[in-house]
Amino acid sequence: MKKNCIAMLLAGGQGSRLYALTQNVAKPSVPFGGKYRIIDFPLSNCANSGIDTVGVLTQYRPLQLNSYIGNGQPWDLDVSDGGVYILPPYQSAGEKGSWFSGTANAIYQNMGFIESYDPDYVLILSGDHIYKMDYAEMLQAHKENNADCTIAVQQVSMQEATRMGIMNVGEDGFINEFEEKPKHPKSDLASMGIYIFTWKKLRRYLIEDENDPNSSKDFGKNIIPNMLNAGERLLPFRFSGYWRDVGTITSLWDANMDMLSIGNIDLFDPSWPISSRSPACPPHYVGENASVVHSILTEGCTVRGRVANSVLSPKAEVGEGAVVEYSVLMPGAIVEEGAVVKYAMLGENVVVKAGAVVGADPDGSENWGVATVGPDVTVRSGAVVAPNAMIYSSEEV
Amino acid sequence: MKGFHGIIFAYGASKDLGDLVRERTSASLVFCGRFRLIDLALSSLRNAGVHNCGVIMKRDYQSLLDHISNGKPWDMARRDGGLRMLPPFGLPGYHRGDYTGTMEALNAVSSYVHDIKEDNIILLLGSACVNIDLDAVIKCHLERNADVTAICTDRELAGTHHRYVVGEDGFAKALRFDRTGGEGVCALEGYIIKKDVLLEMMDECREKEQFRFHRDCLRNYLENGGRINTYIHTGYASIIRTVEDYYIANMDMLLKKNIYEIFPADRPVRTKHMEGVSSYYGEDSKATNSLVADNCIIEGEIENCIISSGARIGKGAKLKNCIIMQDCVVESGCELNYVIADKHVCFEAGAKNIGSPSHPNIIPKNAIVKADK
Repeated sequence: MKKNCIAMLLAGGQGSRLYALTQNVAKPSVPFGGKYRIIDFPLSNCANSGIDTVGVLTQYRPLQLNSYIGNGQPWDLDVSDGGVYILPPYQSAGEKGSWFSGTANAIYQNMGFIESYDPDYVLILSGDHIYKMDYAEMLQAHKENNADCTIAVQQVSMQEATRMGIMNVGEDGFINEFEEKPKHPKSDLASMGIYIFTWKKLRRYLIEDENDPNSSKDFGKNIIPNMLNAGERLLPFRFSGYWRDVGTITSLWDANMDMLSIGNIDLFDPSWPISSRSPACPPHYVGENASVVHSILTEGCTVRGRVANSVLSPKAEVGEGAVVEYSVLMPGAIVEEGAVVKYAMLGENVVVKAGAVVGADPDGSENWGVATVGPDVTVRSGAVVAPNAMIYSSEEV
Repeated sequence: MKGFHGIIFAYGASKDLGDLVRERTSASLVFCGRFRLIDLALSSLRNAGVHNCGVIMKRDYQSLLDHISNGKPWDMARRDGGLRMLPPFGLPGYHRGDYTGTMEALNAVSSYVHDIKEDNIILLLGSACVNIDLDAVIKCHLERNADVTAICTDRELAGTHHRYVVGEDGFAKALRFDRTGGEGVCALEGYIIKKDVLLEMMDECREKEQFRFHRDCLRNYLENGGRINTYIHTGYASIIRTVEDYYIANMDMLLKKNIYEIFPADRPVRTKHMEGVSSYYGEDSKATNSLVADNCIIEGEIENCIISSGARIGKGAKLKNCIIMQDCVVESGCELNYVIADKHVCFEAGAKNIGSPSHPNIIPKNAIVKADK
């Protein structure tokens, strides 16, 4: 069945800068904002933009991601003639199988999948961004400008620009230069890692790149520069809405805190729902001596202590007299009676035993930061987890 | 469990539920802010591995159809069998408009019952607020080699009910119809009956033009020498027939013990998937002893409340002892106490509505409650 545009979602990265949180799961399946996992955002955006065929490229620790995506039903992607497909690395006859060696190589290895839909355009997405975006508008711009590649860009401060991939735009409105982390940026337009390619063009560049032994097989490092050098038409697509890369502990925590201000990203907007797969739990319970202020709570949570400026996922629990402030509790995280959790992220099924302390208020010191406790860790009673700590296992606490 | 087939009675709409059942049946009443009562019966079946089930309905079933759809949340969307909605098939000369009793309802779908492939049929009430461990009931039914097993509760039920006096062997010595408490245990109106026995019961009632299950069918059965096994369910149980039953059952979920008995981790209650955002609490919100579903924005104060999905509680609003259904809007400064607000009710800024514990005020679906000038 021919498709006008299909999406390929890069979800194979480890997300090593999330450390303990991605020990056993791929970054896209890290819980976010209460009910969600990071991958809910691009998947929902696809469904809402009318893109009903999505290939999800997995490689690192895919088990949880696979079972989470399942048949794609929560995102309305369980359709005939399309739907959501998990695409792991594979072996071919007579060859040794090979891992995806880069983002471009991952797409190259799955050209067979893409060609089976004979698409005119291919949308390349990352699995680690929080945003709501109508890809249909971007596709429209791509078509109207007869572009070969359209790159979503966001205006950033000149200081931020030094840490990002920056697009310089010529007078004709097309990109004429791409600089990765420039010391002296010439433009403030940062690439969001969202690309639409005319498939025939991309196909050619993927094959050429694959045959280049010196290439690192990466979109940002190889494909885009190669296309620029060859004089292809690369269009910037300006996006001014909320967009965050949540690849680091600080940015993941920041983005969770952003959810506490409805102005940042309106998750309540029924015209652009962000969907998730979640078990039906009873409504969350707020106890007799509890206090909940400026926070996000989800079905299945129980709060008997004090919660402020925090984000609680399904089945998180806060015991009597416990305090949770400026923190993120992932699904099933339990903070027992009298424990204190401040400026922290607790992974799935973490237990903070009675009276333990995790994290602390900012004290202005250089060493201060958000404390992170990896999934399934038990912080024993009376233990103190310092600010900025990264806890991988129960033995450490 | 193979060999068992469920039938849920979802046609009833007790008139004592007033406006709450104006456009729905008792089985599709919202329960605990997130569920419908019938989810409990469907989940009990599903948790015991029963995937084939008929739901008997008569009228006002739009909300039930919306909710149950193809039965997917309960794994009842099967290639063969699965969930079947059973509107009346018609049976000449027997019908009298609304079903007056369980036997009339069963006879109205008799061709469905005849075609059931399983040897045993589990009959459940869609309006019962109970999470029955049907695995245990089935085990008891099989071990005692029973033809009929009645599910009872060790608790006292409010209002009218039937009672079994149970002998040492677990079989009923008597079925009491006086409904005034006293000797015996309360029937939860859930049964496992062998298909052949049920078909005989249905035939006899049709011939005698009898309609009721306990008073007619089971009395005939006992008089003919039949024996009724009993299974005693322990844990929360209520049958929702009146506004008071409904209000109390919801409020009872604020107690830890009750909510764990209705929603045990090993027998989860499943329901229709709902698009969901986590609920948001504003900077001046205050919440105590309340249950709040997803999709809500809470900026005011709630105490002893059950808040359903999509509700908006404005700044300075004070809600106590209320049940607020889906998508209600309570604007700033409202004061509500002992109120049951049906879906899509809007309380305009400053509105005040005070009911009483025995007579909570029911605000019907889509109503707009204005502030007194």
